[in-house]
Amino acid sequence: MNAGDAAIGTHLGKLDKLFEHRVRLAICVLLTQSDVINFSRFKELLEQTDGNLGAQLRKLEDAGYVTVDKRFEGRKPVSWYALTKVGKNALQAHIKALQAVTGTVG
Amino acid sequence: MTHSNTPTHTPQDDLAYVASAVRRRETRPGVPAIFFLWSALFLVGWALPDFAPRLTAPFWLVAGIGGGLLSWWLGARDELKRGDVDIELGKRYGYHWLVCGAAFFGVFLPFMLGGQEFNAYAADLLGRQFLLVCALAYGLAALHLERGLALPAAIMGAGYLVLNVWSPAYLWTTMGAMISVALFVAGLQARR
Repeated sequence: MNAGDAAIGTHLGKLDKLFEHRVRLAICVLLTQSDVINFSRFKELLEQTDGNLGAQLRKLEDAGYVTVDKRFEGRKPVSWYALTKVGKNALQAHIKALQAVTGTVG
Repeated sequence: MTHSNTPTHTPQDDLAYVASAVRRRETRPGVPAIFFLWSALFLVGWALPDFAPRLTAPFWLVAGIGGGLLSWWLGARDELKRGDVDIELGKRYGYHWLVCGAAFFGVFLPFMLGGQEFNAYAADLLGRQFLLVCALAYGLAALHLERGLALPAAIMGAGYLVLNVWSPAYLWTTMGAMISVALFVAGLQARR
């Protein structure tokens, strides 16, 4: 293995596994631009089924990257999501690693 | 159409997917109710200088502040309804119109302090200054916040030029009607 391969390997190792799924990455990126986004809005922006979107959001929630606030609006339950400090830091680290990988390859 | 993370997705595909979601979010058509509200206020408020000049200032004092507060409430309600709350953006709107409100106040200030006699000449000057501030307020809002305000801003700017070259009869009413139609059309476009 040459030095370039080793550098790529190091940067790849810094990539966050949770953000390897594009829906999870998109959720966190969108949450950096808004304070809170609800489930329906995510569905509209990400073009996902309820089941898949719910599963991805749960994984981010379990990792402590997003928080959920479940409220009743009228008689309808609405889940509002926000990015946590941990999620924000993880996203920044992931983007930094991605930039390093593309920089090394480029 | 649904997307899933399959091995066929390259990192470029994934980033393009994220970028398209971000772009979709950034396409904010504006709040129709706010466009309709100001369409009605402009129609009435800009006809007043031609038909009931004495009511113009009190009308805009009430309609300007009341309309601003109502717009703020409508905007906040729209964000909740859409499911995407951006407090920073809300603040940007708020500061923009607050600064414009201060500029409108500045236009009226010399007369409120009694430092300038309120005669026909002063009323004419006040109208021109008010129109210029309106055109700038709407023009800057169109550039930075809401594209739908570009046409009303252009009408105001053109009206300001016309007013300085000659004063045709019912210019304010005509401009008010044109701005009202432009805002109404922008409101209809935002509903789509």
